[in-house]
Amino acid sequence: MDGYAEELQTPPVTLISLVGCPELHPTISSYLHSKQTPINTLALPDFSKIPVLGRTQKETVDCRQPDGILKRDWLLKHRTRVPAVVAALFSSDQVSGDPEAWLQVCTDLENLKTGVRGRNIKLVVVVVQSTYKDEVSEDRIIALRKHAEVDSKYLLIFIQNDASELTRSLKRLGGAFAELAKIYYRDEGQRIKTRIEKKSFKFNVLNIRYCFKVAVYAEFRRDWVEALKFYEDAYRALHEMVGTSTRLPAIQRLVEIKTVADLLHFKISALLLHGRKVIEAVMWFRQHILSYKMLVGAPEVVFLHWDWMSRQFLIFAELLETSAATIPSNASLVLGTSEKPLTEWEFHPAYYYELAAHYMREKKYCQEVALSASETSKRIGSSSESVIQSVFIGQFARLLEQGEAFAMQTLTDAEYVHYAVAEGKRFQDSYEIIALLKKSFESYSSLKAQRMASYCRNQMAREYFALGEFGNAKSLFDGVASLYMQEGWITLLWEILGYLRECSRKLGSVKDFIEYSLEMAALPISSVAESSSCKGEYGPAGPPTFPQREMIHKEAFGLVKGEPILASDEGNCALAITEDQPLHLEIDLISPLRMVLLSSVAFHDKVVKPGAPISLTLSLLSQLPHPVEINQLEIQFNQSACNVTIASVIKEAAMASYIGETSTHVETAPNLILLTNKWLRLTYDIKSEQGGKLECVSVIARLGPYFTICCRAESPASMDDLPLWKFEDLVQTFPTRDPALAFSGQKVVQVEEPDPQVDLVLGATGPALVGERFFIPVTVTSKGHAIYSGELKINLVDAKGGGLVSPRKTEPFSMDSHHVELLGISEPDGEGESQAGVDNIKKIQQSFGLLPIPFIKLGDSWCCKLEIKWNRPKPIMLYVSLGYLPNSEAGVQKVHVHKSLQIDGETAIVMGHHFMLPYRQHSLLLSRIKSHDSDDSPSLALNQTSILIISAKNCSEVPLRLKSMSIEMDDDDDEIGYSCTVRQGGDGPLDDALLVPGEYFKKVFSIVPELNFPRLATGTVSLRWNREFGFEEQSRSELTATEVLTRHKLPHVNVEMAPLIVSLECPPHAILGSPFTCYVRIQNQTELLQEVKYSLADSQTFLCSGFHNDTIFVLPKSEHILGYKLVSLASGVQQLPQVTLTSLRYSAELRPSLSASTVFVFPFEPQIMMDDLGSKLPEPIFT
Amino acid sequence: MIACVAVVGHQNNPLYLQSFTEADDALKLHHIVHCSLDVIDERVNNPKKSGTTLNEAFLGLLYPTENYKIYGYLTNTKVKFILVTTDLDVKDADVRNFFRKFHLAYVDAVSNPFHVPGKKITSRTFAERVSNIVNTFWLNTAV
Repeated sequence: MDGYAEELQTPPVTLISLVGCPELHPTISSYLHSKQTPINTLALPDFSKIPVLGRTQKETVDCRQPDGILKRDWLLKHRTRVPAVVAALFSSDQVSGDPEAWLQVCTDLENLKTGVRGRNIKLVVVVVQSTYKDEVSEDRIIALRKHAEVDSKYLLIFIQNDASELTRSLKRLGGAFAELAKIYYRDEGQRIKTRIEKKSFKFNVLNIRYCFKVAVYAEFRRDWVEALKFYEDAYRALHEMVGTSTRLPAIQRLVEIKTVADLLHFKISALLLHGRKVIEAVMWFRQHILSYKMLVGAPEVVFLHWDWMSRQFLIFAELLETSAATIPSNASLVLGTSEKPLTEWEFHPAYYYELAAHYMREKKYCQEVALSASETSKRIGSSSESVIQSVFIGQFARLLEQGEAFAMQTLTDAEYVHYAVAEGKRFQDSYEIIALLKKSFESYSSLKAQRMASYCRNQMAREYFALGEFGNAKSLFDGVASLYMQEGWITLLWEILGYLRECSRKLGSVKDFIEYSLEMAALPISSVAESSSCKGEYGPAGPPTFPQREMIHKEAFGLVKGEPILASDEGNCALAITEDQPLHLEIDLISPLRMVLLSSVAFHDKVVKPGAPISLTLSLLSQLPHPVEINQLEIQFNQSACNVTIASVIKEAAMASYIGETSTHVETAPNLILLTNKWLRLTYDIKSEQGGKLECVSVIARLGPYFTICCRAESPASMDDLPLWKFEDLVQTFPTRDPALAFSGQKVVQVEEPDPQVDLVLGATGPALVGERFFIPVTVTSKGHAIYSGELKINLVDAKGGGLVSPRKTEPFSMDSHHVELLGISEPDGEGESQAGVDNIKKIQQSFGLLPIPFIKLGDSWCCKLEIKWNRPKPIMLYVSLGYLPNSEAGVQKVHVHKSLQIDGETAIVMGHHFMLPYRQHSLLLSRIKSHDSDDSPSLALNQTSILIISAKNCSEVPLRLKSMSIEMDDDDDEIGYSCTVRQGGDGPLDDALLVPGEYFKKVFSIVPELNFPRLATGTVSLRWNREFGFEEQSRSELTATEVLTRHKLPHVNVEMAPLIVSLECPPHAILGSPFTCYVRIQNQTELLQEVKYSLADSQTFLCSGFHNDTIFVLPKSEHILGYKLVSLASGVQQLPQVTLTSLRYSAELRPSLSASTVFVFPFEPQIMMDDLGSKLPEPIFT
Repeated sequence: MIACVAVVGHQNNPLYLQSFTEADDALKLHHIVHCSLDVIDERVNNPKKSGTTLNEAFLGLLYPTENYKIYGYLTNTKVKFILVTTDLDVKDADVRNFFRKFHLAYVDAVSNPFHVPGKKITSRTFAERVSNIVNTFWLNTAV
C-alpha cells in the first residue's frame, strides 16, 4: 500500500478552520481531533490569512477536453486546505468594545465572507468570553449575527475560564462544526451529483472525476454505501474509457487508466473489507483482474503491465492481511456463484502474495527484455532525468526550466518508454520477489499448507540461484527436497536436485556435488515412461530422462576417478578428489543415498561356536544407471578382529600394498561390479574367537583411489524399502538367494562361549536310600587346559517341580524342613583340613552349594564328594556347574561346564509289626466285644504275655546289612519302664544279617503289659543298618558305608483286664487210633462267679468222649478244666472237634481259631524223639 | 482444455501424471498438482468448513491459478484424482462426468492382477483410455 499517497490510504477526515483568538486554537483543535468522529483543524492565527481559503483562479473545465482524469492534489487539497467550516473567533472585548474594535470585527467578517463564499464554506461565529459574567450586549450579538449572515445557532458563546463551561462550549462548538461540515459535504456532493445526473459533461473523463468526487465527499460524511457506489461508478466509467479515449498517446493513456483503476479498486476493496464483505471483495478483485489482465499494452512496456498486476495482488493481499474482517466460517465460504465458486486459498493473503510474486517475476523477465532492447537502440539518457509526475494521477511530464518559471511539457510515447525503462532499472525485482514469496511462505506455513509453502520456498530458492546467492538457494532447496523425496515426486525432486547440484558446484563443495549427483543418477526415471512428458524448463539439470541420468552418473564417476570438474564458469576453481582431499560418504538408514548403495548383511545362522566358521552373505544393490566397479570392500564388525576386506581378483595385486598395512582378513571375489538393480551377493565364512554378539556394523566400498562410501549394514529381515523406488512397478528381488533368509536374516549373530576342555563327572551309584548320607563323587578333570579360579556351584531341584521344602514344616532351618538336603562337601584326602581357610568361602545351604576349586594343572583331576541326605523318598535333579578361567591372563572369558543328574531317593526299609497271643490261648477282652468297629490299636490283656513280631522288608535294590534291632522306650513316655515288660524273643544279636532286596526280616518280642492303661505306648523300634557294598564296588568308589538308623514307632495298645482266659491244651500231635486227651482251661480272673456255656461240635475224624453241651460255673479267681478223650480216625492234619464257649455274663462267644484247633495225626507212632515229645506234653492240672 | 490429469496415492505420491499441453510447462503442472494436495487435505480434514459432504467423491474446484483451474476427486479408497484445465469456464457437471469416466478407467487399471496396489500405474491401455477421455472432454466442452 506504500504506493499510494498518504491521503488515499485512510478515509478522509472533515476539515474546519479557525480564525482569530490563536491562544484558543490548540484547545479546540485537540478537542476536535479526539472526538469520536475526529475533525481536523486548519488554524489561521489572524484574519489576514483568510485568502488562503479562497478559490484559486479556476479555468472552466467544461468547455474543453480535460488533460487528465484525476488531479493528483485534489484530495489532499480537500483534506488539508479546503475546510468545510470556518469559525471566526472574536473575543468579547472586541465585540463589545469601542466602535473601532467593532469596526475591525465587521471588516474581518466581511473579508471572511468574501473569502469563503466562492466555496460555499460554512461560517460559524464564536464570541469568546473569559467568564460567564462579561456578557456581550444583546444588540451587539444581533448585529454580529446579521453581519455574518449566520443562523443564530451558529453564533456561539465560548467561555474559556470556567472548566465546566469550557467543556460545554467545546461540545457546542464540536456539534456545530460536525453539523455544518456534514451539510457542506452533502451540498458539495449533491452539486456534483446533479452534474452527473444531468449528464452535463461532454467528456467521459469528467464523469469519472465527478463520481470520484462524490464518493470522496460521501467518505467525508462517512457514508460508506454511497462512497462505494460512486467509486464503483467511477471504476465502470473508467473501464469504458479503455479503447475509446484518444486523449493521450496510447501507451501513456493506458498507464493513466490503469493507475486510476488501481486507485479506484483500492478504494473499493478497502471499503468492502472495511464493511466485512470479504466474499464481495474477493469477487470484486477477481473481476478486476479479469478486466485488466488482457490490457497488456505496447510490447516495449509489457513489464509495466506485469508490474501493475503484481501490485494489484500485493495490495489486495495486504488489505486482506490488515483488514479486521476474518474469513467467513462454514458454509458461506463456498458461495460465490455456483459457476464460479470461491476456494479456500482465495481468502488468504498467501495466495495473493504468491501471485504477486509470480507477476513480479513476469515483470522482471519482460523488463530484462525491454532493457536489452533499449540498450541496443542507444539513446541519449539525459532526457529522462527531468521527467516528473504531472498534476494528473498516472501522467508524466517533462519539467522545463525557463528561467525562474517551470513549465510542464507532455511526453511522446517513445520518451515515456525510455523514461519507464530507465526508471525500472532502479528497482531490484529479485529481492522484491523473494520478499513476496517469503510472505506467502510464512502465510501458507501458518495455514499448514506445507506443499504450497514448499513451492514458495522453491521459487525463493530459484530467485536466489538466479541472483547468484547459492548458499541461500541451497539451504532453501534442501528443505524442499525432503518433502518431495518423502512423497515420491520424482520430477520435482529431479529439478531441485539439479539446482542443488549446481549450487554445490558453484560453492565448490565436492562432497555435496557428488552426493547430489549420485542421488540424481539413482532416481527412478526410466527411459520409456517419462521421456514423452519431458518438455520445458527443468533447471540446470535438464529434463528428467534416462540419458541425462547417465550423463550425471558419468560426470560424478569421472570426478571420482580423478577428472576435475570446473566449479564455476570462470574456471578458476576446480572440483577434484585428490590424495589430499579424499572423499568419504556416509549412508545411514534414512539417507536418500540408500538408492545409490544399499548393503544388506545376513548371517546364515543365529548362533555359532567360537572359532567355528559362519557363513555371511553380503548383498549390495545400486540403482545407478551404469555398472559400478568397486575396487575394494571392507566389512566392519563390532569385533574388529573379524573385519574382512574383499578385493576383486584383478585388483588384488594393486590392493596388496594398501592391505599390507592393516592386519585384516582378506578375501577375494571374482569381480566386484554392481549392475543396476541387481543384487551383488558375496558369501564368506567369518570366524569369531570371542564370545558374545557379533554384529556387522558397516560396509565400506572403495570406488576410486580416494573415494569411499561407508554404508550402514542392514538386516534383510528389517530392511525398509528403498525410497522412491518403492513406488515403481518393479519385480521384487531378494538380497539373498534363499528367500527364507531374506525374510529372517539378521546382521547379528550370537557367538557362544569357547568349548570347555574339562570333564566334569558326577559318579553316582544307583538310587539313594532315605536316611543314608548319600555320597556323589564329583570329578573335575582338566583335558585341554589348566583350570584357574574354578568354582563349583551345586543346586538341588525337585525333579517334579516344586520346592524341596515341605509345606507343612515352616521352620526354615529345621533339620527335617528339607526332604532332600545337601549336608556337605568333603574334599579329598585331607585337603579339606589343609585348606581350612577356604571353608569360609564354601557356602552350603540345604539346596545350594558353592565351592571354590583349587588350581588344576593340565591333565590333573580333582575330586570331591557331595553328601546328600534324603529325608523322604523324592527324585531330585542335581545341577553342578563349573565356572573357571582357561588361563590366568586378565580379560579371559569365564568358561562354564554344566552337568546334571537325576537321583531318586528310595525308602530302603519298610517295617511292620504284629501283636499275637500265645498259641491256643484266648483272652476275653471286653472292649473287643463292645466296640465292633475296627480299632486300629491292638488290645492286650493285662499281665498276660503277648507276642510282638517286628518285620523289616528291604524295598531297595541293593542288599542291606542289618546291624541291630531293638525296642526302645520313648523319652516322653516315662511310665513305659514299668508299664510293660518287653523281652527279646530270640537269643543273641542279629549277627549282621544280610537282607537281599525283597527279603523280610522278622524278630519276635514278648510283651507283658503290667499296667491297666487304655492307651499304652509300647516304644519305638530302632533298626540300624547299612548299605552292603559288593567288594568291587567298595574298592572302586572308595565309599564308606554309613550306618543308618531307621525307626519305627509302635502303636499304642489298649491294655485291659481279661475276665476269662481260655486256653486249649492239646498234644502237638496224635497217632492214628491211639486215644489222647484235650483240655479246655477256663480261667476266671474276676471276683465273680462266671457262668460259661459250652458246646462241642462232633468231628468226623475223631471219636470223642465227654459232655457235648453244658453250662458250668467257674468260681472267682479259679479255673475250670474241661477234658475230652479223643481217638483219631484219620491221619494227617485234622480238625479237632470245635469247642464253643459262651460267657453268659458278658454275652461273649469264644471259639478257638481253626489253626489253633488243628492237630497232626501220625498214622503210626513216629520213632524219633518220641520220648522227648512225650515228656514235654503239658500235664493237665485239675482243680 | 485439459492440461493435465493425475492420480495420487495414499502417501500423496504420484501414481500417474500425464500432461496434455504442447507448452513447455510440464514441471509447472507437477507443481500445481502437488500443491493442490494441500487443498484436498484441507477439505478432507475440515469437511464442515468447506461445505462439501464427505460422501461425495467430487471435491470441486480446488483452487485457481493464474492460468489454470484445478479440480479434485477423492475415491473411497482415498486415491486422489486431479484435473488441471486451462479452460477458465468449465461447468462442474462436465468435470463430474469426466471424473466418473476416469474413475472407471482407474478401477479397471488397478483391477489388473499384475498391478501391485500402491505402485505407479504403467498400463499402456490405461494411458490410452485416459487420453481418449481427455479428448472427448475437450470435444464436449468445445461444442
